[in-house]
Amino acid sequence: MPKSKVSLDVTQIENFVFDMSRCIKCKGCTWVDHIYMPGVKYSTRCPSATRYLFDSYGAYGKMRIGVAMVEGKLGYSDELLKILYACTLCGACDVGCKRNLDLEIELTLEALRIKTVKDGKGPMPEHKKIAQNIAQKHNFFGSPHANRKKWLTDEIKISPKADLLYFVGCSASYIHPEIARATAKILNIAETPFMLLPDEWCCGNMLYSVGMIDEARELAKRNIEAVKKTGAKTLLTSCAEGYRMWKVDYPKMLNISTADLGFKVVHLTEYVDELIKKGALKLSNRIDLRLTYHDPCSLSRLSEPWIPWKGERGLWGVVNPPLERRRGTNGVYQQPRDVLSSIPGIQLVEMIRMRENAFCCGAGRGTKEAFPDFASWAAGQRLVEAKEVGAEAIVSACPWCKDNFTEAVKNNGKSLKVLDFSELVLSAIEGTGKRR
Amino acid sequence: MAISKEAYKVLESIVGSEYISTDPTICEGYRSGPGGYESGLGYERVMTKIPGCVIMPRTTEEVQKTVKVCNRYKIPYVPYSTGFYGPRSHPHVSDALIIDLKRMDDFEIDEKHLYAIVGSGVIYSELQAEAMKRGLYIVIGGGGSQVSAIANMLGDGWSPLSYRVGLPHRRILGTELILPDGELVRLGSLAFQEDDYHWGEGPGPDLRGLLRGFTGHRGFLGIVTKMAIKLLPFQPEKLVPTGISPNTALELPERRVKWINFTMPSKDSMRKAMVEMANAEIGAGATKVPIFWRVIARAKSKEEFWELWSKENEERIANFHVLRVLLIGFTSEEQLEYEEKVLMEIVGELGGEARRTRPTDESWFKNADSAGMWLMCGGYVSVDYVIETLEHAIPHGENYAKLKRNFTPPLMPDYGDPGWFQSFELGHQGYSEFLVYWDPDENTDGVDQFYLETSKENIRKRFYTSLLGSHQPLYLTGPAYGPNYHKWLLKIKDEFDPQFICHPPVPLNHDVFVERAPWLHAQKDWESPELPKSS
Amino acid sequence: MSIREELLKLVGADKFTDAPEALKAYSTDFSLVPSGTPNYVIKPKKTEDVRKVVEFANENSIPVVPVSSSAHFYGATIPKQGGIVLDLTGMNKIFEIDELNRRVRVEAGVTWEQLTNELGEKGFRIIMPLLPHPSRSVVTDYLEREVPTNTVYDYGEPLQSMEVVWPTGEIFRTGSASVAGYPDSPSKGANPSGPGLDFYRLLQGAQGTMGVVTWANFKIEYLPKIDKILFAPVRDLDYALEFLYRVLRLRIGQECLLLNNVDLAAIIADDWSKDFEKLRASLPPWTLIMVISGLQRHPEGKIQYEEKAIGEILRNEFPEMHLADNLPGFPGLSKKLLPMLRKPWSNKVTYWKKRYKGGCQSFFFITKPTQASKFITKVEQIAARHGYPIRDIGSYLQPIEHNRACHLEFNFFYDPESRSDVEMVRSLYDEAAKVLLSEGALFTRPYGEELTRLVYEKAADYTMTLRRVKKIFDPNNIMNPGKLCF
Repeated sequence: MPKSKVSLDVTQIENFVFDMSRCIKCKGCTWVDHIYMPGVKYSTRCPSATRYLFDSYGAYGKMRIGVAMVEGKLGYSDELLKILYACTLCGACDVGCKRNLDLEIELTLEALRIKTVKDGKGPMPEHKKIAQNIAQKHNFFGSPHANRKKWLTDEIKISPKADLLYFVGCSASYIHPEIARATAKILNIAETPFMLLPDEWCCGNMLYSVGMIDEARELAKRNIEAVKKTGAKTLLTSCAEGYRMWKVDYPKMLNISTADLGFKVVHLTEYVDELIKKGALKLSNRIDLRLTYHDPCSLSRLSEPWIPWKGERGLWGVVNPPLERRRGTNGVYQQPRDVLSSIPGIQLVEMIRMRENAFCCGAGRGTKEAFPDFASWAAGQRLVEAKEVGAEAIVSACPWCKDNFTEAVKNNGKSLKVLDFSELVLSAIEGTGKRR
Repeated sequence: MAISKEAYKVLESIVGSEYISTDPTICEGYRSGPGGYESGLGYERVMTKIPGCVIMPRTTEEVQKTVKVCNRYKIPYVPYSTGFYGPRSHPHVSDALIIDLKRMDDFEIDEKHLYAIVGSGVIYSELQAEAMKRGLYIVIGGGGSQVSAIANMLGDGWSPLSYRVGLPHRRILGTELILPDGELVRLGSLAFQEDDYHWGEGPGPDLRGLLRGFTGHRGFLGIVTKMAIKLLPFQPEKLVPTGISPNTALELPERRVKWINFTMPSKDSMRKAMVEMANAEIGAGATKVPIFWRVIARAKSKEEFWELWSKENEERIANFHVLRVLLIGFTSEEQLEYEEKVLMEIVGELGGEARRTRPTDESWFKNADSAGMWLMCGGYVSVDYVIETLEHAIPHGENYAKLKRNFTPPLMPDYGDPGWFQSFELGHQGYSEFLVYWDPDENTDGVDQFYLETSKENIRKRFYTSLLGSHQPLYLTGPAYGPNYHKWLLKIKDEFDPQFICHPPVPLNHDVFVERAPWLHAQKDWESPELPKSS
Repeated sequence: MSIREELLKLVGADKFTDAPEALKAYSTDFSLVPSGTPNYVIKPKKTEDVRKVVEFANENSIPVVPVSSSAHFYGATIPKQGGIVLDLTGMNKIFEIDELNRRVRVEAGVTWEQLTNELGEKGFRIIMPLLPHPSRSVVTDYLEREVPTNTVYDYGEPLQSMEVVWPTGEIFRTGSASVAGYPDSPSKGANPSGPGLDFYRLLQGAQGTMGVVTWANFKIEYLPKIDKILFAPVRDLDYALEFLYRVLRLRIGQECLLLNNVDLAAIIADDWSKDFEKLRASLPPWTLIMVISGLQRHPEGKIQYEEKAIGEILRNEFPEMHLADNLPGFPGLSKKLLPMLRKPWSNKVTYWKKRYKGGCQSFFFITKPTQASKFITKVEQIAARHGYPIRDIGSYLQPIEHNRACHLEFNFFYDPESRSDVEMVRSLYDEAAKVLLSEGALFTRPYGEELTRLVYEKAADYTMTLRRVKKIFDPNNIMNPGKLCF
């Protein structure tokens, strides 16, 4: 076979036919890494495959379906759309597969959605409604754009100009202002000046995630320009989804690398960890709590920087130039744990599935809106796991996780506190005069 | 003929509408290829179809009812646990029903009496994790942690850990089997009373004899819905999972579990070391290390693999003799010390040298690495894997290496690697396995031809082989082994599957394949009576 | 030509007899199974002889009963429907002792005595059941799944590949002996499984109903360089079994078994009239016997670490267990018993099971060791009901593979000349079978008509399937008809 041109460009599904056709059905995409396999319970990390059970709902089924779509053998249907979209793109499949192989599962799934939208068949109606909200009101919820900064309180100090820019995101701005406030206060207490965007718009996470790449790209360009205009050197978020968008998917859509964005992207967990390690912040208030930390997918598995790549593929599937693949190894796993464990009185217990084996909360990237039962179910699974290890609280670092867990707790009456990382850190420093 | 509305209704009433589907997208998700075991080969292209319907029963009763419905309405069906075994696990005829057993994931363990009862949906790594919590362990078959424990116990079931533990056949205890015609037969102690799984031998003749044969039936003689599997005593220290993907490994408690790699001066010294170890009755694993695996383990990507591999040559391969030995202090730390002392003595006598060996296991206890076999080329099969003696194992591999040259390309260049071999059952048996790789995008006719040629070569040279039953043409191997084992196999099949609906046309699948594959016709020099006409 | 004439022509007069005294020898055995006389006895010398006879018998629907030993305890070889007894005791070649692969290939007529002697000369042994009769066929005993006394090997079943003549008269090799031209092949016959089906499983426990096995391969082991036999007097059987649950999982020891005072006395008594009663009275209720061994290299090192491990367990967890290298009050026991465990019973002494009263009905099954006490109590109750003195019951508990299960055996000694004794034991056996079967005892080797009937009635779907399989291999039901469920 002659060499073929290939790149990681998700707008061309042909780039991923190789990956789809090399899936060996080992279900490494579904099972917890076998080294970490805990037993017959908590043995999977793909919520879609675990919930819907038919092979077609696991990545291994989707790869086959993808081939058939590309070959024109399979038409669109409600079932196909459900298979493609009842999935949080959590990246468990990608990381699981890449333990042993070199297949781009996550990018394939993204590319399939992009193709679906291009073919005029996707996304789900609920997503279209949200896309309209974003287009018209610049936020996910369709709330008045003017209210975006309503989360601010008088005690929070914003700098007109600073190296650090806090990108709040739709969820923290409108639904979980406690996260935005906590983040802002942490920065204040750490005496780290920060700015906000004069006119912050949605990051476009859902748009990109459901395959509306053109709209997402336009938003990305606009947002990057807006940040550059402020002169910020670092963009900080307290939202894992936003983090991933800025750090990974913006460069991906613009065919540049993360390093070439023009500014650093950090998550609050990384930032606080750094502050503590350099002595700029000390978490000294005691909090007596037995908690477990839930790794948000976009902060962990999916967060390694993006580097565009194009080249050729030849015999044995060898590509040239060589490509260093993103396997989830260097996700933000340890920093939040180090921070939380440093709080006096905190007992950090790990859930059975942690780090790259974490079971997605079920909410992300537009999934909850289109498949609320599925999202609720996934969150429920995770809460059971949290209870199993005796946690009193489940802590994450993403407002979407918090939202979904909170709702799940309410629905099934489990007595479990649901907290965000920012809230805990704030509690550990508030009133202490923070430093040293 | 698609499943009739009436049949569908009946099937739906058995499992509920959530667990059955004829939707084309759902069915497409169950396609065998294009990737997987034996991917890109003629067999997959010619013999596999997507199912017409998928059903997911939860209980033995539901499975039995489903099979009876299939018999009533003449619906061909295929029992399916993970589908990992490639094309042979998938329907070969149109409009078949896949009976997807993944919901049958019940699990029970009797720690005191050393067995676990599992449903077909339980995979090895789940079982191993449960066993290890209790100071026990199992052998995970070469297929890997991700395969159904039951499915693997029915057709495979060995690894370097079989050195101590022996044939998987012995580890099958009380078992529930739904025969192709829908009759339920309980084997072993289960024949005497429900819920007693602890013993495998049934009253008088042991009907476990129907379950497999050497390398199994691949699902043509019914469905096992529950099986008790022996667990083996291990040692009390924990094997701790460490690392972040892709570099995850079990950290070994070195005073109780230890791998040691040795460089040996020759293949024969490696063989002798295995013999001496076995005679001294030490060790828990003893295997030649195939050089592929070492290179895969070192490579961080396919490209890096090929970069490293291109530096190899025939001479180096021919002189690469690494023996990997596992020691387990089952009794105590002192036992491990004793065995290590004896081992060093043996290796020293034979001119070998210990190499620095990581105190971890990535590959065998929780068998995380088997998927890595596909890293190199995307196509892979274990051509032949035979349990016999070491005396058989070594020439068997060498024979393959010679034969393989004629088919390289399309086979991956391996510089004459003769496969790997190891010792089983404390030296009473030896094992040889020969793996081949190819690029599925290339013309793979040569791989099909090689596969068939090895079968013929085994017969010519009087080697035992895994290529029995449905693995290669039954009318080719049948007269050669037994002789005429195929006669009995087909009679059993006729008796228990009179309608020939359990995974048709297995066990004559490979015979049918040869008929349909013009590139194999030149090799066909045996008689086949009329073959089933399957669509 | 009559059948008789045809048979004579087929095998020759030197292999054929139908003289009444000859036939009578096969019509009874040491069991209580009713007598049944064959019509002919043929003594083949090689497989081809067997093949000819079986093929002929199949064509003419004549029953065939294969017999490979000259001592029988279970009634399995008493013809139920006449026919031909195929006596393979003359097929007693030890073909090869394969030291490299630790394998031996023997014909069906090879006895324990013959084999253990020849192996012993080369420094080998075969794991074996407890004190088998010296004239028993090794092939038959392992086909019939006699339980070995050695618990340490995970692959405890020594049987590998074999040659069988199917009831249709076809010669067939199982496992890796199935290659053409075996044994002239790189394949040595070390793999029992396949080809295609696990034929060996169908032949095991079959009491000759599935075909005639003419030779088989077995695993052999080196004789240990050092052996130490340990004993513990046992009053609390459950306590001893807990100890075994603990210690056998550590893969310690070679032979390990429990014998009650009656069985042990019957085994070790030298001068019967002087010793048996004294021994029976003074031996503890049970004796645990455990052998630890040092093997080919640094044998003392193995003994050392095993003793250390046992010692720690005894001290820390089982202080009431007194395992030592001799049984208190029986100073010569270790010297006497150890060699006995590695050999069949001596042919110079009445078989141990027959020493007490001349007859012995063994009643045995598989169970979990935790159930042993329950079953012992039950058996004693039933014995009492039938007037069988409890003090006469011999008991033997054989742990299997790390004590995951055990073979539990009761020996009812009786005087075969006494009609009342015979009736008592027969009805005792039948009732015990009924009661224990319903309580979960696994009679995986059902011997005796009533027990067999009950077992196959209980295992109804197994029975049905078994009959379907039998019909495939033996469409004319010529192989030992009337046995098992056939």
